[in-house]
Amino acid sequence: MVRTILSVAMTMAVAAGTAQAQLIEKTALTLQGAKQIAAAAESRANVEGARVVIAVVDDGGNLLLLERLDDTQVASVNVGIDKARTAAIYRRPSRVFEEQVKNGRVSALALHGAAALQGGVPITVEGTVIGAIGVSGETPQQDEEIALAGAAVAASFTK
Amino acid sequence: MKRTIALIAGMTVLGTTMLLHAESVSDKRGLTLEGAKTVIAATVAEAKRLNAPGASIAVVDEGGTLLAVERLDQTFAASANIAIGKARTSALFKKPTKVFEDVIKGGRTSMVTLGGDLQNFTPLQGGVPLEWEGKVVGAIGVSGAASAQQDEELAVVGARSLDSMETAEMTNGRTPLPVIYIDSQKVAAAFAKGAVLVGEAETMMHTARNYMVHASHRDKAGVVEIHEHDTDIVYVLKGSAQLITGGTPVGAKTVAPHEFRAPSVIGGDTRRLVPGDVVIIPNGVPHWFKEVEAPFDYYVVKVR
Repeated sequence: MVRTILSVAMTMAVAAGTAQAQLIEKTALTLQGAKQIAAAAESRANVEGARVVIAVVDDGGNLLLLERLDDTQVASVNVGIDKARTAAIYRRPSRVFEEQVKNGRVSALALHGAAALQGGVPITVEGTVIGAIGVSGETPQQDEEIALAGAAVAASFTK
Repeated sequence: MKRTIALIAGMTVLGTTMLLHAESVSDKRGLTLEGAKTVIAATVAEAKRLNAPGASIAVVDEGGTLLAVERLDQTFAASANIAIGKARTSALFKKPTKVFEDVIKGGRTSMVTLGGDLQNFTPLQGGVPLEWEGKVVGAIGVSGAASAQQDEELAVVGARSLDSMETAEMTNGRTPLPVIYIDSQKVAAAFAKGAVLVGEAETMMHTARNYMVHASHRDKAGVVEIHEHDTDIVYVLKGSAQLITGGTPVGAKTVAPHEFRAPSVIGGDTRRLVPGDVVIIPNGVPHWFKEVEAPFDYYVVKVR
């Protein structure tokens, strides 16, 4: 489900004794892991009869997997991706920015690559953000609840 | 002739209200997420079979909007958007994206600006329309495989998986049974003594079929028959018989599972059958060929 990019580090370590100082170990989300997260979000959405887009991105904010449930408004595709990217590259729920704007920090809208819309949640393994899930299509609260149901699956991920 | 056609057409329109509605709205088939996932699964399987170094696979609907995307492990990150662009371009133009790549390569460079207001116009090989019953219902885009050529090969395999779904729907998911042909000599031989043309005598019905066909021949009267499950569709070919249907059987016995016979019946309707007559005897209805002018030949389809 998650793969450690360890081989690169080890190869470099052999090549140069000091390489360990220049490289870090990184845990990466696999497509299989992304599918498990999306499946959990999808079943939560189905229970509620929610019509949503579910987007899963990697730690760089790049799309890994997307599902548009039947009869979901098409505009949610891009909104879902935007929410996921926001949560991934800022390593926090996209709700944080929506709340900042609501509380008067309008300049949060200027944050590069961020969508100040609730519904994007980081995917975390052992405290590290390895990606994010973004949900769009229903109310902001419902979108986020579905995203959280998906992200929660990461707690069971093992390397 | 012309008038007849117009009349029939007019009557059909009046009789079919759906056609009246067709003037303002039309029925549209849309790809479901389930369908999109199946197309992606077929493409991923082909990518693995070909040992492709990676692939992003996108499926869009007929409006070019994303339905589902998967980026295989180790595939470069930009490939997801390129795959989406290829799929979108293919769906909106109802053409493989190779068409645009070839035209541009052929010297029509200005085609690269065709995108204009279209978001994500991607004139690169690897986008293929998805068709259902000859209509474009979406498109698949692949990026990140070994080459542009392989991107398209994978997309084509994905698109074909929808064709097999279409076939599966038409055949209810089963492989159709083989066509049965019985030549006239064999049919004549069967009628000469009376025989089962199609079906197993032991179980009455072949397990895969819900019918059997008899070439029936009678020289003398029969007994009252009641089939619990089988409806008899009878077509008289030769001779004549008195048929009694309905009534209350007297002294009925079970002769086989779901099959009952009796020596006589009280009441019922009497009919004289002659060549060319058709009789349909629903399951559960007692029937009796009481008097027969031999040879009495009749073709029976038994339906369960």
